[in-house]
Amino acid sequence: MSNSSQTRPSVKKLLSVPIIFVSGKGGVGKTAVSQAIARAKSKSGKKTLWVGFEDPTRPPGELRRVNKNLFELNCTAEEAFEEYMGIKLKVPGLGHLFSKNPLIRFLAKAGPGIHELVLLGKLWHERRNYDCIVADMPSTGFGLAMFHSIGNWSGIFRGGPLYQDSKGMLATFGNPEECGQLIVALPEEMPLRESLELEAFLLQLFPENPPGFLVNRLFPDVKKHAMARNVDVNPDQWPTPMAESIQDFALRRCLLEEHNLKTWREAQITIESLPWQRVYPESELKEFEQVVIGLEKQIAERGWL
Amino acid sequence: MKSILSKRKILITAGTGGVGKTTLSASMGIRAAIEGRKVCVITIDPAKRLATSLGIDALGNEPTDLTHKLREALTAQGIQLPETASFSALMPDTRTTFESFLKSLTQNPATAETLFKNPLFQIFAREFSGANEYMAMQKLQFIHESGNYDCIILDTPPSRSTLEFLDAPKLLSQLFEANYIQWLIVPANKLASSAMRKVLGLLEKLMGAGFMGYMMEFVTVLFEVRAGFMDHLRRMIQLMESEEVGVVLVTGAHCDFSEELAHFRAHLEKHGLKLDGMVVNRTIGAYRDEGPQSPPPHESEFVSAVELLRNLKAREERGLRNLKKTVAGDSIDPQLMPELARDVHDFKDLVHIARRLDQCFG
Repeated sequence: MSNSSQTRPSVKKLLSVPIIFVSGKGGVGKTAVSQAIARAKSKSGKKTLWVGFEDPTRPPGELRRVNKNLFELNCTAEEAFEEYMGIKLKVPGLGHLFSKNPLIRFLAKAGPGIHELVLLGKLWHERRNYDCIVADMPSTGFGLAMFHSIGNWSGIFRGGPLYQDSKGMLATFGNPEECGQLIVALPEEMPLRESLELEAFLLQLFPENPPGFLVNRLFPDVKKHAMARNVDVNPDQWPTPMAESIQDFALRRCLLEEHNLKTWREAQITIESLPWQRVYPESELKEFEQVVIGLEKQIAERGWL
Repeated sequence: MKSILSKRKILITAGTGGVGKTTLSASMGIRAAIEGRKVCVITIDPAKRLATSLGIDALGNEPTDLTHKLREALTAQGIQLPETASFSALMPDTRTTFESFLKSLTQNPATAETLFKNPLFQIFAREFSGANEYMAMQKLQFIHESGNYDCIILDTPPSRSTLEFLDAPKLLSQLFEANYIQWLIVPANKLASSAMRKVLGLLEKLMGAGFMGYMMEFVTVLFEVRAGFMDHLRRMIQLMESEEVGVVLVTGAHCDFSEELAHFRAHLEKHGLKLDGMVVNRTIGAYRDEGPQSPPPHESEFVSAVELLRNLKAREERGLRNLKKTVAGDSIDPQLMPELARDVHDFKDLVHIARRLDQCFG
């Protein structure tokens, strides 16, 4: 399933809407990129919520205020389910009934479709409270399962508040003025190919809302140095998959990325990218924080907000 | 690596997505084959990476024998594959495995059919994040019991956290726990508290028409297969805890792997699994630096690119120092494997990597 460049949104367009889903394969940098976007948004005066899912290192359901305009939510299914039931059923004092109820925990954790549905449901309900929500989606397969759940639910179970909400969610997430799907990939064969597959799946669910693409960790362009040293521009011709040294790696890496990005160029995707971030050990900031701040600077430099 | 491989019959590679587990698993398998073992590599890999790197279109639910291809690739690099050796690979289909697994647990084929038609089950089988991990281990058990291989490498599915593959069976077994089930299949049960009855009533309202009916059907069938399932689980746990099984943790270079390792280790110990080794994969540090004068300073973009790599290398080194502090005085010495300059296309490439394993592990 292909899509032309005219209908794919630019990164700038994607970052202009109230709900931004940052998706992609594991390890591409979704968390850093989504946090950088959230920070940039909050600095531009928007009340912003960054959403992560099922982070075991933070308290479940925790909502944290990072600064004046920036909040972070660790969205977890059990807590979302309890809250959701409270909201939808409007039964006073429901909290204590569900709190730690083993059946609820079971359904939230393993109830087919429910687990994913309530996670998205929580995010969807929060849209009224913020100018902008940036979601760090779980890696490809799992993130997709969440969107599938909405489709599944409204297909199987009629009536009831969950059904109503799932239709509402389909409408919101399917509307390009309300929701942006940003697919992040590395300039590597697998992530690039998976990103196209992800695009196809998302288009099936949300045909009016095509995703946009972003390449992360693009290596500096040293093509002319590589060619000056007669390195074959076609990586498939290199005799071994390993380099000789870091200098040799530096030359080959940009040629590899150029070669890999052909996949996207053939699909007529305009390549928008973010480079590797430098990290300074002298800094009192943790590495991850430095990366996020670096990305945030670059997002601003590119005029994406 | 040689000693790890010789110690175990089954090696499980664990780690999050994007760290190169699949390539590493295949390379480890090749290394074992070179030692004369009968190898089987199992991968649950939605992106079909292994098939690609083995140079074939697809891997099936049953092992594909690739010994001849490996022999060719080794001969081209001047290595003789021992007569006793063999190399196979498969990519079990979670859905098929799960269905045949359930069928085998019920005496009554009609029960299985009911379950497969149930929409909740269909969602469950497809989307339940523990299913992949659990079925990988199921398949591992089948392959092990077949007796055709003396070295099985299980490449676990890409997961958000390294702990998922350990937790999956437990999560799945929670489904079968009598506590939850009795409340669902016998809602009018006098034992069920009024609070629980209220919860059930509210769930009915919330989920919509038909949900509770399907839920009960789903749960009733699972209840019937409980005994068989728990038995399987017990046997699997027994296998995992035996001396035959070891785990190799694979992490990427640019993350806080010392914390990850500490959590993972504690969890492994709890489950009775043994950590045999750790690979920090996709590193720049595995490559040598030609020296401070290379490249010449007038090639400024190239200099800047090399500086970036040196920066990355320094980050890795810091990560490793922290790691050594966390797991101090330990038998686990993390090994560095290089970030590849290009993708893997065929057996020849995997052989290069397999030979590099020796350099790293000794």
